[in-house]
Amino acid sequence: MANAPLRARVLAALDGAQVVVAAIVLLAPIVWMVAAGFKTSAAVTAYPPRLLFHPTIANYAILFARMPFLHYALNSFVIAGGASVIGLLLGVPAAFAVSWNRMAWPAVAMLAARMAPGALFLLPWFVMFSSIHAVGSYWVLILAHAVITLPLALWIMLPFFDALPRSVIEAAMIDGCSDLAVLWRVALPLVGPGLAVAAILSFVFAWNYFLFALVLSGFSTTPLVVAAFNFVGEGVTNWGALMAAATLIGLPPVVLAFFVQRHLVGGLAAGAVKE
Amino acid sequence: MRRRRFVWMVAPAVAFVAVMVGFPFVDTLWLSGFAFHFGAAPHAVGLGNYRLLLGDDKFWNGLWITFYLYAIALIAQLVLGLYLALLLNRMRRFSKVLRSLLISPFVLPPVVVGLMWLVILDPSIGAANYLLTALGLPPSLWLASPGLVVPTIALIDTWQWTPFIALILLAGLQALPADVFEAAAIDGAHGFALLRRVTLPLLAPSIVTAATLRSVDLLRFFDVIYVTTQGGPGDASETLNIYGFRQGFVFLNIGYACALMIALTVLVLAVVGLLARLRRTVAW
Amino acid sequence: MRRAIGLLAAVLFACAAAGAHAATFDWQRYKGHTIHFLNENNPWANELRRELPAFTKLTGINVEVLTFEEQQMRQRLVTILQSHDAGVDEYMSLSSLEGPLFAHAGWYADLGPIMDAPGATMPGYDVKDFSPPLRKAVTFGGKLESIPVNIEGPLIYYRKDIFARCGVALPKTLAELQAAAAKIHKCDPTIIPWVTRGLAPALPYTFSNVLHNFGADYFSGPRRPDLCAPKATAAIAWYADMLRDYGPPGAVNDSFVQIADLYGAGRAAMAFESSNEFGPIMKFPGRAKDTGLMLLPPGPGGQKPTVIGWGLAMSAFSQAKPETWYFMQWATSKAMQTKLALRGIAPPRRSVAASPAYRAWLAQDPVRAQWAKLIDVMASTGTGEVGPPVRRQAQARQIVGEAVDKVLLGQAKPQAAACSADKQLATMLATP
Repeated sequence: MANAPLRARVLAALDGAQVVVAAIVLLAPIVWMVAAGFKTSAAVTAYPPRLLFHPTIANYAILFARMPFLHYALNSFVIAGGASVIGLLLGVPAAFAVSWNRMAWPAVAMLAARMAPGALFLLPWFVMFSSIHAVGSYWVLILAHAVITLPLALWIMLPFFDALPRSVIEAAMIDGCSDLAVLWRVALPLVGPGLAVAAILSFVFAWNYFLFALVLSGFSTTPLVVAAFNFVGEGVTNWGALMAAATLIGLPPVVLAFFVQRHLVGGLAAGAVKE
Repeated sequence: MRRRRFVWMVAPAVAFVAVMVGFPFVDTLWLSGFAFHFGAAPHAVGLGNYRLLLGDDKFWNGLWITFYLYAIALIAQLVLGLYLALLLNRMRRFSKVLRSLLISPFVLPPVVVGLMWLVILDPSIGAANYLLTALGLPPSLWLASPGLVVPTIALIDTWQWTPFIALILLAGLQALPADVFEAAAIDGAHGFALLRRVTLPLLAPSIVTAATLRSVDLLRFFDVIYVTTQGGPGDASETLNIYGFRQGFVFLNIGYACALMIALTVLVLAVVGLLARLRRTVAW
Repeated sequence: MRRAIGLLAAVLFACAAAGAHAATFDWQRYKGHTIHFLNENNPWANELRRELPAFTKLTGINVEVLTFEEQQMRQRLVTILQSHDAGVDEYMSLSSLEGPLFAHAGWYADLGPIMDAPGATMPGYDVKDFSPPLRKAVTFGGKLESIPVNIEGPLIYYRKDIFARCGVALPKTLAELQAAAAKIHKCDPTIIPWVTRGLAPALPYTFSNVLHNFGADYFSGPRRPDLCAPKATAAIAWYADMLRDYGPPGAVNDSFVQIADLYGAGRAAMAFESSNEFGPIMKFPGRAKDTGLMLLPPGPGGQKPTVIGWGLAMSAFSQAKPETWYFMQWATSKAMQTKLALRGIAPPRRSVAASPAYRAWLAQDPVRAQWAKLIDVMASTGTGEVGPPVRRQAQARQIVGEAVDKVLLGQAKPQAAACSADKQLATMLATP
């Protein structure tokens, strides 16, 4: 009898050890990148790699003093923020209607955007926007990234709307509220958490997306993920500055995701998890 | 009693998708019927580009690389993800710190992930080779080796997405009815037998779901390859998507690139369709 | 001391000359206008960008700059030009690579009429000052399509100290070069004997020199690929053997940035790379002292260096052509090219090459004089052929690069790789 708790404790300790190992494997590359951002270029390229080094903030100084890092960051915020707003403005009412009327096809149509390779869109878009002299503007980039955020917003909101009691909505309809008033005054206040998840995940995915901005961004609208390649020295790679830039570019998505971590996986898998 | 209302609310979203997704698709399909080299006038060739494609070694190479990468990355992620999910499911407490650690890799921008691993895997200065030699193993060329480049990219993707799969499967595990396990335990099923006969079949829908999500991304794999190898060394990591991009935006063979993009889209739809059928057969 | 005074006088003279032009030419004519400049992260552009505030001060024209790594710059550029978009007014262009295609597509603005318009060009600009072969390389169908901004070609940077320590004499043939690499490898295994380009699309730049020194050519006649011929196959084998046996690990992914890094950091004994990397390499500690330079030694076919130049081009779809020309003439003026020459950008203007300021700068350091001398040799004897003579250069170069890489990686024998490249080139030519 005395054996069982001991055995359980040993097994628990083994599990704990495995979790620690898994955590180290997941974390080590990120730690390495962050550390490299605080190393001189010589220390980054030193072999064998140095675990102990004198930290320097010179790389960050380069990013902010010698490169328009803040401008690129602002571009990323405008594009990701704008695309999230458009995604929510279009996606939330659509999700509400789809949920209420049990229509499948609009939701499935939204998924089509996720199946095609991104490069397929680029040339037609370019020709389309070029004909109205809009290439390189924030608007084009925001609309392009809304192709990512709209399906995300719609599919994330669906289960939240599905979970609303129909009677609440019906009561509002009997009161003679207009469609928009029903959505705005009655439904939306009840799906607050869903809106937060949809907004944050839209932002994160628009922030991270690379290919559209690679071809469509303009002189003053290039976002961070595209500019990242150019955080190099003159003719030679400044690995320290590159890693410092990578750290800063990666920071907002990680921080934002932290706030919605409990809903994150459900949100991303939405659409596939539901039958 | 059910009243259709609010239907007009889907209109803006549907119109947006029609313009931003529908038009490019039709346009690409149309262009794939032309011999259209940037800087020269296009002329119609019908299915000529598709015929060209069938005889193009690079297309078949791209198809092979795409599926090779897809297969090893998906299998590695599903196996490791399942292992991690079972491990986490056994733990009573699941701290916020641990969860945020798990989500960090897959919310990082792929460009950042690519740059990060580029430094770690550099054959001359990278920490990965230092680790290998410290363990008494020979150093590796990683991304610069034609034989290892695809497994190495799969390794990067596995690092990034295994936690995602683990969390999906963990949610699936936690939603399983507890009485089934109790009944199985009474029947004497333990350890591996329990996993194989009870847990896995019950978890199958979640597994297929996770596989579907990763399939869509893996078959169109682009960002990390663009950042790390651009399809190289030679064409050893040139997936269909990278090859299509190169034909279009480097070689400027637009008509042909459009045909490649259409082929890739059909491929993704086919795999997703197959997985959707599989999802129905494993439902319980 | 006297040399320093001479240099000072020369710089003063150059400034005075620029000042005199300013008095008779209305630099402020387009004050408040904005132009868009797409450029590559290379030494010339990096140096020029530092001077931009001076241009805006001089003209009141605002210059929006977008800088990219080379491949990305082109991917962006072609999309913009293909859709006849006015978003880029001027861009850097490598006429040896994309000149024929861009000219054929009508993507370059013809600079002749623009610069000849009344009041458009500063007095003393003198377009004939650019050396004739360079002007010829940027002229298509009688139209001047870009303005040369540098002269460059691959040359060998080598470590004099390592050569001396290992008792290696300067190689006089390609075979001796291979022997020298072997000797260095034996003498000090921690040093990488040889670094050069392995990245497929970038490799023809250095490989072409080897090919020509072997006495081979890409084509034996119009539309007749000839890499399968014994001489060309031997060149492929030599290039691949050198990198495989004496190159760094992962050489197949290396282009000029990695090469400048490896040589600059003192890890390599020889680097076969563009003369344009001279400036960046000299900035590494110690390299200005211990670096010697030479052209790729002669092979069975003699010595045929490669020489090309970047140019500054105007988009045919620019809506701001006169303003853009203001920027272009400023950036390619005698004064500016003199300034950049003193930072290691080989001048395409004859007057700058002969100017006292440049001469004085060269005389300050033997390695600079050697660099300039080799560029002179390249310019007078070199060929501009950096890839198969076809319009679809990017694709053709990728095919050549992949063939060499297959041999380098041991995936194919030279003969098989070369013949397969010929077949791919033929298919490309046969495809509309």
